[in-house]
Amino acid sequence: MKKKVLLVDDSNTVILMEKMILAKGPYDIIVARDGVEGIAKAKSEKPDVILLDVMMPNMDGLTACAELRRDPETAHIPIVMVTTRGEEQNIETAFRNGCTDYVTKPISGIELLTKLHNILGVAA
Amino acid sequence: MKDNQRSFTEKVTSDMREYVQSLLDENRRLSTTVAELEADRDRTIEAQTALIERLSQIEEESRAFAARYVEVEQQNTNLANLYVASYQLHGTLDRERVLGAIKEIVINLIGSEELAVWEIDRDFDGLVLIDSFGIDQARWAALPLDSPHVASKVALSGETYVAGPSTHYDKNLIACIPLKLDEKVIGVIGIFSLLAQKSGLEAVDFELFDLLATHGATALHCTRLAVPETVQ
Repeated sequence: MKKKVLLVDDSNTVILMEKMILAKGPYDIIVARDGVEGIAKAKSEKPDVILLDVMMPNMDGLTACAELRRDPETAHIPIVMVTTRGEEQNIETAFRNGCTDYVTKPISGIELLTKLHNILGVAA
Repeated sequence: MKDNQRSFTEKVTSDMREYVQSLLDENRRLSTTVAELEADRDRTIEAQTALIERLSQIEEESRAFAARYVEVEQQNTNLANLYVASYQLHGTLDRERVLGAIKEIVINLIGSEELAVWEIDRDFDGLVLIDSFGIDQARWAALPLDSPHVASKVALSGETYVAGPSTHYDKNLIACIPLKLDEKVIGVIGIFSLLAQKSGLEAVDFELFDLLATHGATALHCTRLAVPETVQ
């Protein structure tokens, strides 16, 4: 059975890259362009996992992550932060805001697929 | 009486002979069984050794497949990088969006948040900053072509510059890519640093440099050609 993945990123390049990596797996892809749209789609689409960029217009990924965790409708959805900032303190902030895991840019296909596999229990 | 004794003795002797014979037969039968069991045991040990060897081979093959899987997945990611970069550069005729695509490629695919895009201005006879990310724009706004800066040298030579390990993390450019239309340089992309989690440039980064050098230049050139059509 296909798993629903919500990609939240304002960058076309990153969205296209993530779509290409996930195209090989059993995933249905939904896209949102900022944190606000991401939260709305998380509520309406009930994805199995969310890939959430950190730096975005309107609402950044860290705020969106905290909002999603506060809402009982979305609190259970695993969130993988996608960040350019791989420094320890930024990762800690992401976990404090409730993310399940993180990947750093440039995105590694094998790393992303492995993390999704671990979270969702599906092979790519 | 003597006859009886003889008869008894003969009977006992006969019984003893039969008993000994039966013992000898049993001994032969048991020896055969032991020999068969020993042969079975040897065959089992042999089969077990073969299975252990096969298991070891399978484990080795499994490790090789896992390594190959990682390698193929990495190649897939690299190809996806190149496809995405090319797609983004040629997906628009709008100059701002082409510049945006160049920035996104450098930020998200190469992994740098300090970059500059210069174009050659023939009137100024130098490089003029047309877009940037994470740098002091005023400092890098213009560079004469005869300046000693790496970007000027790259603009003149048309050769990609990559800093060596000793200059890797200082504030000099770590890479400088000429934007080339055929062999004519029309601009330069400068990359000042790499993201903290990126330990160095990889093979795919050099592929992306080549792609940016030619496709970036072509995409920027096409935006100029498209302007009159848009105006009409």
